Amino acid sequence: MKSVAFRMLCRVLIVSLFAMSFQPAMAGVIATDQAITTTTERAALIGTLSRSDVASQLLAQGVDTDAAKLRVASMTDQEVAALAGKIDSLPAGASSSSTGWAVAIVAVLVIWYFWK
Amino acid sequence: MALPWLLAGCAIWVPQTERLRSDWPSDLGPRAELDAVPYFPQKDYQCGPASLATAMNFSGVSVVPDDLVAAVYLPNRGGSLQVEMMAAPRRYGLVTWQLGPRFEDLLREVQAGTPVIAMQDYGLWPVPYWHYAVVVGYDRDSGKAVLRSGEKRRLEMPFAVLEYTWKESAYWAMVAVPPDRVPVTATEAGWLQAVVAMERVADKQAARSAYRAALRRWPDSLNGAIGLANIDYREGRLQAAEELLRNTLKQHPKSVVALNNLAQTVADQRRFDEALTLIDQALALGGPFSSAVEQTRAQIRGKLAAPQ
Repeated sequence: MKSVAFRMLCRVLIVSLFAMSFQPAMAGVIATDQAITTTTERAALIGTLSRSDVASQLLAQGVDTDAAKLRVASMTDQEVAALAGKIDSLPAGASSSSTGWAVAIVAVLVIWYFWK
Repeated sequence: MALPWLLAGCAIWVPQTERLRSDWPSDLGPRAELDAVPYFPQKDYQCGPASLATAMNFSGVSVVPDDLVAAVYLPNRGGSLQVEMMAAPRRYGLVTWQLGPRFEDLLREVQAGTPVIAMQDYGLWPVPYWHYAVVVGYDRDSGKAVLRSGEKRRLEMPFAVLEYTWKESAYWAMVAVPPDRVPVTATEAGWLQAVVAMERVADKQAARSAYRAALRRWPDSLNGAIGLANIDYREGRLQAAEELLRNTLKQHPKSVVALNNLAQTVADQRRFDEALTLIDQALALGGPFSSAVEQTRAQIRGKLAAPQ
Protein backbone atom coordinates (compact mmCIF):
# COMPACT_ATOMS: atom_id res chain seq x y z
CA MET A 1 0.00 0.00 0.00
CA LYS A 2 1.50 3.27 -1.09
CA SER A 3 1.35 6.13 1.36
CA VAL A 4 -0.98 9.06 0.86
CA ALA A 5 1.98 11.41 0.65
CA PHE A 6 3.52 9.34 -2.14
CA ARG A 7 0.27 9.42 -4.09
CA MET A 8 0.02 13.16 -3.64
CA LEU A 9 3.57 13.61 -4.87
CA CYS A 10 2.77 11.52 -7.97
CA ARG A 11 -0.26 13.66 -8.67
CA VAL A 12 1.65 16.90 -8.32
CA LEU A 13 4.39 15.63 -10.64
CA ILE A 14 1.89 14.50 -13.24
CA VAL A 15 -0.05 17.77 -13.13
CA SER A 16 3.17 19.70 -13.57
CA LEU A 17 4.11 17.55 -16.58
CA PHE A 18 0.87 18.49 -18.26
CA ALA A 19 1.12 22.10 -17.25
CA MET A 20 4.51 22.26 -18.95
CA SER A 21 3.17 20.68 -22.10
CA PHE A 22 0.53 23.40 -22.41
CA GLN A 23 0.89 25.04 -25.79
CA PRO A 24 0.59 28.80 -25.67
CA ALA A 25 -2.21 29.98 -27.95
CA MET A 26 -0.85 31.31 -31.22
CA ALA A 27 -1.24 35.05 -31.14
CA GLY A 28 -3.89 36.16 -33.58
CA VAL A 29 -4.70 32.93 -35.36
CA ILE A 30 -7.63 30.81 -34.18
CA ALA A 31 -6.44 27.19 -33.98
CA THR A 32 -8.16 24.44 -35.96
CA ASP A 33 -9.33 22.55 -32.89
CA GLN A 34 -10.99 25.72 -31.63
CA ALA A 35 -12.53 26.31 -35.05
CA ILE A 36 -14.21 22.91 -35.20
CA THR A 37 -15.51 22.85 -31.65
CA THR A 38 -16.68 25.68 -29.47
CA THR A 39 -14.86 24.43 -26.40
CA THR A 40 -14.68 27.13 -23.76
CA GLU A 41 -11.55 27.94 -21.79
CA ARG A 42 -13.25 26.52 -18.75
CA ALA A 43 -13.91 23.22 -20.51
CA ALA A 44 -10.31 23.14 -21.70
CA LEU A 45 -9.12 23.62 -18.13
CA ILE A 46 -11.36 20.82 -16.90
CA GLY A 47 -9.93 18.67 -19.69
CA THR A 48 -6.40 19.43 -18.57
CA LEU A 49 -7.14 18.61 -14.96
CA SER A 50 -8.81 15.34 -15.97
CA ARG A 51 -5.73 14.49 -18.00
CA SER A 52 -3.64 14.20 -14.87
CA ASP A 53 -6.43 12.20 -13.25
CA VAL A 54 -6.55 9.76 -16.14
CA ALA A 55 -2.77 9.50 -16.16
CA SER A 56 -2.70 8.54 -12.47
CA GLN A 57 -5.46 6.01 -13.09
CA LEU A 58 -3.33 4.49 -15.85
CA LEU A 59 -0.42 4.28 -13.38
CA ALA A 60 -2.73 2.50 -10.96
CA GLN A 61 -3.48 -0.04 -13.72
CA GLY A 62 0.21 -0.88 -13.99
CA VAL A 63 1.24 1.39 -16.86
CA ASP A 64 4.61 3.09 -16.36
CA THR A 65 4.91 6.86 -16.03
CA ASP A 66 6.37 7.73 -19.43
CA ALA A 67 3.90 5.51 -21.26
CA ALA A 68 0.97 6.95 -19.30
CA LYS A 69 1.95 10.47 -20.27
CA LEU A 70 2.20 9.56 -23.96
CA ARG A 71 -1.08 7.67 -23.84
CA VAL A 72 -3.01 10.55 -22.34
CA ALA A 73 -1.38 12.99 -24.75
CA SER A 74 -2.83 11.01 -27.70
CA MET A 75 -6.39 11.44 -26.42
CA THR A 76 -8.80 14.24 -27.21
CA ASP A 77 -10.48 16.21 -24.42
CA GLN A 78 -13.69 14.26 -24.99
CA GLU A 79 -11.84 10.96 -24.76
CA VAL A 80 -10.14 12.04 -21.54
CA ALA A 81 -13.53 13.00 -20.13
CA ALA A 82 -14.95 9.62 -21.16
CA LEU A 83 -12.17 7.77 -19.32
CA ALA A 84 -11.93 9.88 -16.18
CA GLY A 85 -12.92 7.80 -13.19
CA LYS A 86 -13.98 4.82 -15.31
CA ILE A 87 -10.76 3.10 -16.31
CA ASP A 88 -11.44 0.19 -13.99
CA SER A 89 -15.00 -0.36 -15.23
CA LEU A 90 -15.05 0.33 -18.99
CA PRO A 91 -14.93 -2.68 -21.33
CA ALA A 92 -11.36 -3.89 -21.91
CA GLY A 93 -10.95 -6.18 -24.89
CA ALA A 94 -8.88 -9.11 -23.77
CA SER A 95 -9.87 -12.63 -24.51
CA SER A 96 -9.48 -14.87 -27.47
CA SER A 97 -12.74 -16.49 -28.42
CA SER A 98 -11.88 -19.87 -26.89
CA THR A 99 -10.98 -18.51 -23.43
CA GLY A 100 -14.10 -16.38 -23.62
CA TRP A 101 -16.31 -19.40 -24.04
CA ALA A 102 -14.47 -21.22 -21.26
CA VAL A 103 -15.12 -18.36 -18.87
CA ALA A 104 -18.76 -18.19 -19.95
CA ILE A 105 -19.22 -21.88 -19.25
CA VAL A 106 -17.63 -21.54 -15.82
CA ALA A 107 -19.93 -18.58 -15.12
CA VAL A 108 -22.98 -20.63 -16.04
CA LEU A 109 -21.88 -23.49 -13.80
CA VAL A 110 -21.31 -21.14 -10.87
CA ILE A 111 -24.71 -19.50 -11.31
CA TRP A 112 -26.41 -22.86 -11.63
CA TYR A 113 -24.64 -24.16 -8.52
CA PHE A 114 -25.77 -21.26 -6.36
CA TRP A 115 -29.31 -21.06 -7.69
CA LYS A 116 -30.36 -24.69 -7.66
CA MET B 1 -25.24 -23.57 -44.74
CA ALA B 2 -28.72 -22.91 -43.49
CA LEU B 3 -27.64 -22.13 -39.93
CA PRO B 4 -26.72 -18.47 -40.34
CA TRP B 5 -30.00 -17.63 -41.96
CA LEU B 6 -31.85 -19.71 -39.39
CA LEU B 7 -30.29 -17.58 -36.65
CA ALA B 8 -30.99 -14.52 -38.71
CA GLY B 9 -34.66 -15.37 -38.51
CA CYS B 10 -34.62 -13.95 -35.04
CA ALA B 11 -34.82 -10.27 -35.84
CA ILE B 12 -34.79 -9.37 -32.14
CA TRP B 13 -31.35 -10.92 -31.64
CA VAL B 14 -29.72 -9.81 -34.86
CA PRO B 15 -31.82 -7.02 -36.39
CA GLN B 16 -29.17 -5.75 -38.78
CA THR B 17 -28.37 -9.19 -40.16
CA GLU B 18 -32.05 -9.67 -40.78
CA ARG B 19 -32.25 -6.35 -42.62
CA LEU B 20 -29.20 -7.21 -44.73
CA ARG B 21 -30.78 -10.52 -45.65
CA SER B 22 -34.04 -9.01 -46.79
CA ASP B 23 -32.64 -5.80 -48.20
CA TRP B 24 -28.98 -6.01 -49.28
CA PRO B 25 -27.85 -2.49 -50.34
CA SER B 26 -27.69 -2.35 -54.12
CA ASP B 27 -24.33 -0.55 -54.19
CA LEU B 28 -22.67 -3.06 -51.89
CA GLY B 29 -20.83 -5.83 -53.73
CA PRO B 30 -21.72 -9.46 -52.98
CA ARG B 31 -18.27 -10.30 -51.62
CA ALA B 32 -14.88 -8.90 -50.75
CA GLU B 33 -11.81 -10.18 -48.97
CA LEU B 34 -8.59 -8.37 -48.20
CA ASP B 35 -6.10 -11.21 -48.47
CA ALA B 36 -3.14 -8.88 -48.02
CA VAL B 37 -4.09 -7.96 -44.46
CA PRO B 38 -1.34 -9.44 -42.27
CA TYR B 39 -1.96 -11.60 -39.25
CA PHE B 40 -0.42 -11.32 -35.80
CA PRO B 41 -1.35 -14.16 -33.51
CA GLN B 42 -2.55 -12.90 -30.17
CA LYS B 43 -0.38 -13.49 -27.11
CA ASP B 44 -1.91 -13.90 -23.68
CA TYR B 45 -4.76 -11.43 -23.44
CA GLN B 46 -3.38 -8.98 -25.90
CA CYS B 47 -5.96 -8.94 -28.67
CA GLY B 48 -5.91 -5.12 -28.59
CA PRO B 49 -2.26 -4.77 -29.64
CA ALA B 50 -2.61 -7.67 -32.10
CA SER B 51 -5.69 -6.19 -33.81
CA LEU B 52 -4.14 -2.74 -33.98
CA ALA B 53 -0.90 -4.10 -35.45
CA THR B 54 -2.96 -5.92 -38.08
CA ALA B 55 -4.80 -2.78 -39.16
CA MET B 56 -1.79 -0.48 -38.86
CA ASN B 57 0.55 -2.64 -40.92
CA PHE B 58 -2.04 -2.75 -43.68
CA SER B 59 -2.07 1.07 -43.50
CA GLY B 60 1.68 1.15 -44.05
CA VAL B 61 3.04 1.42 -40.50
CA SER B 62 5.50 -1.31 -39.55
CA VAL B 63 4.71 -2.25 -35.98
CA VAL B 64 4.44 -5.54 -34.15
CA PRO B 65 1.97 -6.09 -31.30
CA ASP B 66 4.76 -5.83 -28.72
CA ASP B 67 5.42 -2.24 -29.85
CA LEU B 68 1.80 -1.38 -29.05
CA VAL B 69 1.54 -3.07 -25.67
CA ALA B 70 2.92 0.01 -23.91
CA ALA B 71 0.44 2.17 -25.82
CA VAL B 72 -2.86 0.35 -25.25
CA TYR B 73 -2.53 -2.54 -22.81
CA LEU B 74 -3.62 -2.21 -19.17
CA PRO B 75 -1.69 -4.86 -17.21
CA ASN B 76 -4.04 -4.90 -14.22
CA ARG B 77 -7.18 -5.13 -16.37
CA GLY B 78 -5.57 -7.63 -18.72
CA GLY B 79 -7.04 -5.81 -21.70
CA SER B 80 -7.27 -2.65 -23.80
CA LEU B 81 -9.86 0.14 -23.70
CA GLN B 82 -11.66 1.43 -26.80
CA VAL B 83 -10.49 5.00 -26.27
CA GLU B 84 -6.87 3.90 -26.25
CA MET B 85 -7.36 1.80 -29.38
CA MET B 86 -8.53 5.02 -31.06
CA ALA B 87 -5.73 7.12 -29.56
CA ALA B 88 -2.63 4.96 -30.12
CA PRO B 89 -2.41 4.95 -33.97
CA ARG B 90 -2.43 8.77 -34.06
CA ARG B 91 1.16 8.91 -32.86
CA TYR B 92 2.13 6.98 -35.98
CA GLY B 93 0.43 9.48 -38.27
CA LEU B 94 -2.68 7.40 -38.88
CA VAL B 95 -6.18 8.80 -38.57
CA THR B 96 -8.63 6.74 -36.54
CA TRP B 97 -12.29 6.78 -37.44
CA GLN B 98 -15.01 5.22 -35.35
CA LEU B 99 -17.66 3.75 -37.59
CA GLY B 100 -21.35 4.39 -37.19
CA PRO B 101 -23.09 1.50 -35.42
CA ARG B 102 -24.19 -0.09 -38.69
CA PHE B 103 -23.32 -3.49 -40.14
CA GLU B 104 -23.66 -1.95 -43.57
CA ASP B 105 -20.95 0.64 -42.76
CA LEU B 106 -18.60 -2.11 -41.65
CA LEU B 107 -19.13 -3.99 -44.91
CA ARG B 108 -18.70 -0.79 -46.92
CA GLU B 109 -15.31 -0.13 -45.37
CA VAL B 110 -14.18 -3.67 -46.08
CA GLN B 111 -15.43 -3.40 -49.66
CA ALA B 112 -13.46 -0.14 -50.02
CA GLY B 113 -10.31 -1.97 -48.93
CA THR B 114 -10.05 -1.08 -45.25
CA PRO B 115 -9.91 -3.75 -42.53
CA VAL B 116 -12.21 -2.92 -39.61
CA ILE B 117 -11.48 -3.57 -35.94
CA ALA B 118 -14.64 -4.58 -34.11
CA MET B 119 -15.24 -5.13 -30.40
CA GLN B 120 -17.12 -8.30 -29.57
CA ASP B 121 -18.44 -9.79 -26.37
CA TYR B 122 -17.96 -13.55 -26.11
CA GLY B 123 -19.18 -13.68 -22.55
CA LEU B 124 -22.44 -14.98 -21.24
CA TRP B 125 -24.57 -12.83 -19.01
CA PRO B 126 -23.63 -11.64 -16.42
CA VAL B 127 -19.96 -12.08 -17.29
CA PRO B 128 -18.86 -10.08 -20.33
CA TYR B 129 -15.77 -11.18 -22.21
CA TRP B 130 -14.57 -8.44 -24.48
CA HIS B 131 -12.48 -9.15 -27.53
CA TYR B 132 -11.11 -7.23 -30.51
CA ALA B 133 -11.01 -8.83 -33.95
CA VAL B 134 -10.34 -7.50 -37.43
CA VAL B 135 -12.97 -7.97 -40.13
CA VAL B 136 -11.23 -8.45 -43.48
CA GLY B 137 -13.91 -9.93 -45.71
CA TYR B 138 -17.50 -10.95 -46.25
CA ASP B 139 -19.61 -13.03 -48.58
CA ARG B 140 -23.29 -12.25 -49.01
CA ASP B 141 -24.21 -15.63 -50.47
CA SER B 142 -22.72 -17.74 -47.69
CA GLY B 143 -23.74 -15.10 -45.13
CA LYS B 144 -20.30 -15.08 -43.53
CA ALA B 145 -17.67 -12.56 -42.54
CA VAL B 146 -13.93 -13.29 -42.48
CA LEU B 147 -11.95 -12.23 -39.42
CA ARG B 148 -8.38 -12.14 -38.19
CA SER B 149 -9.07 -13.09 -34.62
CA GLY B 150 -7.13 -14.36 -31.64
CA GLU B 151 -5.25 -17.48 -32.68
CA LYS B 152 -6.98 -17.77 -36.05
CA ARG B 153 -5.63 -16.24 -39.22
CA ARG B 154 -8.83 -16.76 -41.17
CA LEU B 155 -11.93 -17.20 -39.07
CA GLU B 156 -15.21 -17.48 -40.97
CA MET B 157 -18.11 -16.28 -38.91
CA PRO B 158 -21.79 -16.15 -39.87
CA PHE B 159 -23.14 -12.59 -40.00
CA ALA B 160 -25.62 -13.46 -37.26
CA VAL B 161 -22.90 -14.66 -34.88
CA LEU B 162 -20.78 -11.62 -35.62
CA GLU B 163 -23.70 -9.30 -34.98
CA TYR B 164 -24.79 -11.09 -31.84
CA THR B 165 -21.34 -10.76 -30.26
CA TRP B 166 -20.70 -7.31 -31.73
CA LYS B 167 -23.92 -5.59 -30.71
CA GLU B 168 -23.03 -5.85 -27.00
CA SER B 169 -20.36 -3.22 -27.62
CA ALA B 170 -23.06 -1.02 -29.16
CA TYR B 171 -21.62 -2.04 -32.54
CA TRP B 172 -18.25 -0.47 -31.76
CA ALA B 173 -15.91 -0.56 -34.74
CA MET B 174 -12.97 1.51 -35.94
CA VAL B 175 -10.47 1.86 -38.76
CA ALA B 176 -6.92 3.28 -38.68
CA VAL B 177 -6.16 4.74 -42.09
CA PRO B 178 -3.31 6.62 -43.73
CA PRO B 179 -4.02 10.37 -43.62
CA ASP B 180 -4.60 10.66 -47.36
CA ARG B 181 -7.34 8.03 -47.33
CA VAL B 182 -10.70 9.22 -46.06
CA PRO B 183 -12.87 6.23 -45.03
CA VAL B 184 -15.90 5.82 -47.29
CA THR B 185 -18.33 6.10 -44.38
CA ALA B 186 -16.70 9.22 -42.89
CA THR B 187 -18.54 12.52 -42.54
CA GLU B 188 -16.83 15.86 -43.09
CA ALA B 189 -17.17 17.08 -39.50
CA GLY B 190 -16.23 13.70 -38.07
CA TRP B 191 -13.16 13.30 -40.27
CA LEU B 192 -11.89 16.78 -39.39
CA GLN B 193 -12.27 16.04 -35.69
CA ALA B 194 -10.36 12.82 -36.20
CA VAL B 195 -7.64 14.73 -38.06
CA VAL B 196 -7.36 17.40 -35.35
CA ALA B 197 -7.04 14.62 -32.79
CA MET B 198 -4.14 13.17 -34.79
CA GLU B 199 -2.54 16.57 -35.40
CA ARG B 200 -1.98 17.02 -31.66
CA VAL B 201 0.55 14.19 -31.62
CA ALA B 202 1.55 13.35 -35.21
CA ASP B 203 3.97 15.14 -37.51
CA LYS B 204 2.72 18.05 -39.56
CA GLN B 205 3.16 16.23 -42.85
CA ALA B 206 0.51 13.67 -41.87
CA ALA B 207 -1.89 16.43 -40.82
CA ARG B 208 -1.27 18.34 -44.02
CA SER B 209 -2.07 15.33 -46.15
CA ALA B 210 -5.20 14.60 -44.09
CA TYR B 211 -6.55 18.13 -44.63
CA ARG B 212 -5.74 17.87 -48.33
CA ALA B 213 -7.67 14.60 -48.46
CA ALA B 214 -10.61 16.32 -46.74
CA LEU B 215 -10.58 19.04 -49.39
CA ARG B 216 -10.47 16.48 -52.20
CA ARG B 217 -13.48 14.67 -50.75
CA TRP B 218 -15.39 17.81 -49.67
CA PRO B 219 -14.01 20.65 -51.84
CA ASP B 220 -16.12 23.29 -50.04
CA SER B 221 -14.93 22.23 -46.59
CA LEU B 222 -14.39 25.43 -44.59
CA ASN B 223 -12.59 23.79 -41.69
CA GLY B 224 -10.50 21.67 -44.03
CA ALA B 225 -9.16 24.86 -45.60
CA ILE B 226 -8.68 26.51 -42.20
CA GLY B 227 -6.75 23.49 -40.94
CA LEU B 228 -4.46 23.45 -43.96
CA ALA B 229 -3.95 27.23 -43.82
CA ASN B 230 -3.08 27.00 -40.12
CA ILE B 231 -0.29 24.54 -40.89
CA ASP B 232 1.06 26.83 -43.62
CA TYR B 233 0.85 29.77 -41.23
CA ARG B 234 2.69 27.97 -38.46
CA GLU B 235 5.44 26.97 -40.85
CA GLY B 236 5.78 30.55 -42.05
CA ARG B 237 4.31 30.07 -45.53
CA LEU B 238 2.16 33.16 -45.21
CA GLN B 239 1.34 33.55 -48.89
CA ALA B 240 0.10 29.98 -49.20
CA ALA B 241 -2.04 30.43 -46.07
CA GLU B 242 -3.42 33.69 -47.42
CA GLU B 243 -4.37 32.16 -50.75
CA LEU B 244 -6.18 29.24 -49.08
CA LEU B 245 -8.13 31.55 -46.77
CA ARG B 246 -9.07 33.94 -49.58
CA ASN B 247 -10.36 31.03 -51.65
CA THR B 248 -12.45 29.60 -48.86
CA LEU B 249 -13.85 33.05 -48.04
CA LYS B 250 -15.31 33.17 -51.55
CA GLN B 251 -17.50 30.23 -50.55
CA HIS B 252 -17.88 31.14 -46.88
CA PRO B 253 -17.82 34.94 -46.75
CA LYS B 254 -19.25 35.01 -43.22
CA SER B 255 -16.63 32.78 -41.59
CA VAL B 256 -15.30 34.68 -38.59
CA VAL B 257 -12.42 32.23 -38.16
CA ALA B 258 -11.30 32.54 -41.79
CA LEU B 259 -11.53 36.36 -41.65
CA ASN B 260 -9.65 36.54 -38.36
CA ASN B 261 -6.91 34.19 -39.51
CA LEU B 262 -6.60 35.97 -42.84
CA ALA B 263 -6.34 39.32 -41.06
CA GLN B 264 -3.50 37.98 -38.91
CA THR B 265 -1.77 36.42 -41.92
CA VAL B 266 -2.00 39.70 -43.82
CA ALA B 267 -0.81 41.68 -40.78
CA ASP B 268 2.22 39.41 -40.50
CA GLN B 269 3.06 40.53 -44.03
CA ARG B 270 2.97 44.12 -42.71
CA ARG B 271 -0.14 45.09 -44.66
CA PHE B 272 -1.80 46.55 -41.58
CA ASP B 273 -4.52 48.67 -43.20
CA GLU B 274 -5.77 45.71 -45.18
CA ALA B 275 -5.65 43.55 -42.05
CA LEU B 276 -7.68 46.09 -40.11
CA THR B 277 -10.41 46.10 -42.77
CA LEU B 278 -10.62 42.30 -42.58
CA ILE B 279 -10.67 42.13 -38.79
CA ASP B 280 -13.42 44.76 -38.68
CA GLN B 281 -15.51 42.55 -40.95
CA ALA B 282 -14.94 39.64 -38.55
CA LEU B 283 -15.83 41.78 -35.55
CA ALA B 284 -19.08 42.93 -37.16
CA LEU B 285 -20.19 39.31 -37.54
CA GLY B 286 -20.00 38.62 -33.80
CA GLY B 287 -20.36 35.04 -32.59
CA PRO B 288 -18.42 32.78 -30.20
CA PHE B 289 -15.00 33.92 -31.40
CA SER B 290 -15.59 37.62 -30.69
CA SER B 291 -13.09 37.86 -27.86
CA ALA B 292 -10.34 36.24 -29.95
CA VAL B 293 -11.20 38.60 -32.81
CA GLU B 294 -10.98 41.59 -30.50
CA GLN B 295 -7.55 40.47 -29.34
CA THR B 296 -6.37 40.12 -32.92
CA ARG B 297 -7.71 43.59 -33.68
CA ALA B 298 -5.98 45.14 -30.68
CA GLN B 299 -2.74 43.54 -31.73
CA ILE B 300 -3.01 44.79 -35.30
CA ARG B 301 -3.85 48.30 -34.11
CA GLY B 302 -0.87 48.19 -31.78
CA LYS B 303 1.45 47.33 -34.65
CA LEU B 304 -0.15 49.99 -36.84
CA ALA B 305 0.51 52.63 -34.18
CA ALA B 306 4.07 51.48 -33.50
CA PRO B 307 6.84 53.28 -35.38
CA GLN B 308 7.79 51.28 -38.48
